[in-house]
Amino acid sequence: MAMSPRKRAQTSRIVQYAILIVAAAAAAFVTDWQTVGEKFFNPTVALQQFPGVVTTALKNTIIYTALGFVLALALGLLLALMKISSVGPYRWLATLYIEFFRGVPALLVFIAFGYAVPFAFGIRLDTYVTVMLSLGIVASAYIAETLRAGLQAVPKGQYEAARSLGMSHTRAMISIVIPQAIRIILPPLTNEIIMMTKDSSLIYLLGLTASQYELAKFGREAISSPEAGLTPLVIAGAAYLVITVPLGILARRFESRTAKLSRP
Amino acid sequence: MSTPATPHVPAAQGCTITNLHKSYGDVEVLKGISVDVKPGEVVCLIGPSGSGKSTLLRCINLLEEPNDGTITVAGFDATDPDVQLDEMRAHVGMVFQSFNLFPHMSALDNCSIAQRRVLGRSRDEADATSREHLEQVGLAELADRYPDQLSGGQQQRVAIARALSMQPSLMLFDEPTSALDPETVGDVLGVMRQLAKAGMTMVVVTHEMGFARDVADRVLFMDGGLLVEQGPAREVIGNPQHERTQSFLARVLHPDGTVDG
Repeated sequence: MAMSPRKRAQTSRIVQYAILIVAAAAAAFVTDWQTVGEKFFNPTVALQQFPGVVTTALKNTIIYTALGFVLALALGLLLALMKISSVGPYRWLATLYIEFFRGVPALLVFIAFGYAVPFAFGIRLDTYVTVMLSLGIVASAYIAETLRAGLQAVPKGQYEAARSLGMSHTRAMISIVIPQAIRIILPPLTNEIIMMTKDSSLIYLLGLTASQYELAKFGREAISSPEAGLTPLVIAGAAYLVITVPLGILARRFESRTAKLSRP
Repeated sequence: MSTPATPHVPAAQGCTITNLHKSYGDVEVLKGISVDVKPGEVVCLIGPSGSGKSTLLRCINLLEEPNDGTITVAGFDATDPDVQLDEMRAHVGMVFQSFNLFPHMSALDNCSIAQRRVLGRSRDEADATSREHLEQVGLAELADRYPDQLSGGQQQRVAIARALSMQPSLMLFDEPTSALDPETVGDVLGVMRQLAKAGMTMVVVTHEMGFARDVADRVLFMDGGLLVEQGPAREVIGNPQHERTQSFLARVLHPDGTVDG
């Protein structure tokens, strides 16, 4: 029997839903819910995480990310301006930096600033400084590319019009180019903060005191007692979502606003 | 379009170009151009695309840096390495083919921003000047609109008002009507006619032969980076002497190959 294309699409959709429901039902049937509840969602253990998970871990994750982001944004802007500079050596230096720090694993950079640099120079870096440097330097390489793309996405005619009115290079950048670039940059920049929030978990490498624990380290420490199960990690994971989901929504809102603004 | 207020040109100035050369890599776009534009004169640059007319125009306010030759414009020695470039450009208005209005600002702010940031005028003073010039181009009512809320012709008139708000002593137009819908071309050309009548020095790169014939004091025909022919508008367009000018005008005036009798 021949089916119309629309009818066939409908049938295929029904079959897909049916498979999904059967799979979910099977998974629910074979799962030992008792154990899952105990290991992952133990309410007693969950309650034990509070208030520390918020007052220490969540707070520290936000502080580390914010510190890293401030440095990354400043460095990233400098690198982006170097990358579009007419001075060759500036461009080469920026390219070298960006390629290097995008190419090596963030983990290595954390080890470098946590152990190698202090050891080599015989200095002791404050934990916050270490975190700011490691997170900021890695992220600045990505942010530099985001900013450069944003600056270059502003049509050249905008800069020329500004210069033809007598504005200096700096004035044209500040009043005309950068405000337009920001609208283009905001969505990818928000995504960059989300990445940094998660990357801040690499701090577990450093020897932290309890008051310096961020979410991942906090969760790892809490599961070290056998009776805790994995519930603390679930709580820590949920706490990350408390930060990243609203940021994601914000990024999408920026995106739709940018789309509206750039209509022809 | 509402009747524009009578424009006033504070102090029109001319521009002198001597033996100008410009190359991009190995390609020589301008092969030694000399032009003298007198204060208050309207000069139209015509010629096929790629002939170097836009490059010549963009050299005048140094958006393109010439390789050789000298330019004096609005009393500044533009090719002197020590020229106060920003100050010079503030005296030379420029209108672009693609308008280049600042999309994040209202029409009024587009006109006011450089007055405030370059000339140091107060917001009130700058806005008053801007409104005056928006009125002059017939757009006083649309001062608060953003560029994307304006038609192409309106945007280009705002761009003209923006340039005029700096009270330039010379205006450069780079194919100002080439990106416009046919029905809005007239409004822009109307504003330019008013400006010419008011005594503004104007250098206009254009394909509008009617405008060139009626408004220009002088027409320059460029081809292959050289100034091929120049003279009073009616003579160059009505009775071109050079063979290349003749074939170009024949193609522009009668694109379908017909010749009116």
